[in-house]
Order: sequence, then C-alpha cells, then structure tokens
Amino acid sequence: MTCDRIEGLLSPYLEGELGDEARRLVDLHLEACPDCRNLLAALTETRTALSGFPELEISESLRERLLEIPGKKMRFSLSLDFLLKPSLQPVFATAAVFMTLVSFYLFGPYKTAIDRTIDRKIHHGYSQVEKLYVKAGSFRDRLEAGKDNLLVSVKNLEIFGGSKDQTQQ
Amino acid sequence: MLVNAYAKRVFNLAYQFAGSYQEAEDMTQDIFLKLYGTLSKYDVRRDFTAWLLTVARNHLIDAYRRTKWEKTSRDEFDEHGLAAGESADPEAGLEAAASRKIIWDSLNLLSPDIRMAVILRDIQDKSYEEIAQMAGVPVGTIKSRVNRGRLQLAGILKENKESDHDL
Repeated sequence: MTCDRIEGLLSPYLEGELGDEARRLVDLHLEACPDCRNLLAALTETRTALSGFPELEISESLRERLLEIPGKKMRFSLSLDFLLKPSLQPVFATAAVFMTLVSFYLFGPYKTAIDRTIDRKIHHGYSQVEKLYVKAGSFRDRLEAGKDNLLVSVKNLEIFGGSKDQTQQ
Repeated sequence: MLVNAYAKRVFNLAYQFAGSYQEAEDMTQDIFLKLYGTLSKYDVRRDFTAWLLTVARNHLIDAYRRTKWEKTSRDEFDEHGLAAGESADPEAGLEAAASRKIIWDSLNLLSPDIRMAVILRDIQDKSYEEIAQMAGVPVGTIKSRVNRGRLQLAGILKENKESDHDL
C-alpha cells in the first residue's frame, strides 16, 4: 500500500472505523514507514489540540445585545410586517407601474405635447357632450309638439269609442 | 431563554471559525437576528439544536464568502483565554498549549467548508451524520473534508515541530 493511500485511511484508523483487513494493512505499512508514523503522531496531536480548545463564555455586552433582539423584532413585525403580505403584491406592482408612467410624464421631454393632446381630447369630448345635449333638447321639443296630436289620435281609435272618419280627420 | 441556552454555543462556533472575537460577536448577533426571523419556519419534528447550528453554519460560511475573512488574521491565541488548559504535568501542559496555538493560527488556511467540518467534528464533537445533515451533503463528503483538514493541520504542526528541533 502506498503512502498516499495510507494518508486517506489515517483518520478512520484513528477513529476505529476501519475493518480488520484494512487495519492490518495500515499497521503493516506503519511498521515499515517512518514518515507515515510521524504523520500519524502529528494527526493524533492535532486531534488532541483541537479537542482541547476551551469553550469561552460570552461577554455581558453581547448577552445584552442578544436579549434586546426579540423586542426589536417584535416592533418591526408590529409596524411593517403587514407590508410583506403576498396579497399586497399586485397592489405594489400596479403602484410601481403607475409611478413609472407618472415619472415618464413629469420628467420626459414630451410633457407639453402630452398636455396639448390631453387638452384636445378633453375639448373634443366636451363638444361631443354639448352636441348630445342639444340633440336631446330638440328631441324633447318635438315630442312635446306631437304629444297633443298623438293623444287625439289615440282617443279617436275605434277601440276607445271613436269613429273611422274622426280618425282620418 | 434562547439566548441563555444557545448563545455560548453559537458564539464559540463563530469564534473558532472566524478567529476574531469582535467578528464572532457581530456574527452571533446576526445569527440570532436571523433565528428570530426564521423561527416560524422551524419544523418541530427536527432537533432544534441541529436546526440552530445549521442556520449558524450557513450564515458563517455565507458571510465568510462575502467578506473573505481569511485576509484578516486571527486573534492572538492567548488573548481570550484559549491558552488555558488543565494538565497535571506543567511541561506537557505547555507543549499542548504550543500545539493548540499552531493549530489555532493555521485554521484560516483551511477552506471554509473544510474548516467548518473540522471544527464541528473535532472541537464541537459532532457526529459525521449530524455534520452531513447540517451541510446538506453526503456523510462521505464530510469524512473526506475532515480527513483533508486534519492532514493539512497535521502537516503544518509537523513542519513547525521540525523547524523548532532544527533550532
């Protein structure tokens, strides 16, 4: 077995995870190879050193900072969390599109042309409404004028007791 | 309650990983902020400590990748009491502390994934399965990372000892 192959087996060897056969091969190699023996000794020392790091206590200032977090979080969640609701996303999207269009209008180079077009459209719409209003007025006058004739014609109908001649008149 | 039960563990993981006391305090605060924000996503069927350490591990590695702490040096070994150790034999105690110093100074030479695997396995004494679950990779990958990390550190330790002998 080569030293490279042994290197890969040293950790499981130390942790007792090798099968009998592999363990025997590593033992045989170690007996014959001083470099790998040295590496194994260094590996053992490394593991001992790592496991010997003491666990440090946290500072009082850190403890205080950590204890303040839930309060801060709660204030945030009471005030702003509702903004994160998925149901509000279409509203935000629409608002974003609207704001974009408004910014194009306000800061774009065609503001005057747009204003003129809007004025024209408004005037056009206004004149259309005026025309409709005049038409409606003349229609009402015609209806009022023909109202009396219509009533007489209806009264002279045979089914209401009138005669044919009167109807023709 | 969360702070009393887990702050020390999270801080020590952050300190061992980052090597800077100030950085570790800031990271611990960030991790707890994240924890409070994601508590609602915690699946009660999972082990809480494992979940918490997963959040801490992921945050530390992400922060490392963003800020590249390897460019900053680690704190002096005896600055925050890491040199303290119990040993009946003072000479052996000194030798062990010297080895710990070399290992401490060399931890930043390991890539973040390998360093975290070594810390969780050899300092925090987690099983390979637990570490694999935290990292979301197969157990074999973690075993390989731990082995590579240990070999790298052992190589550095060996070189240091040999150069001390030469002197």
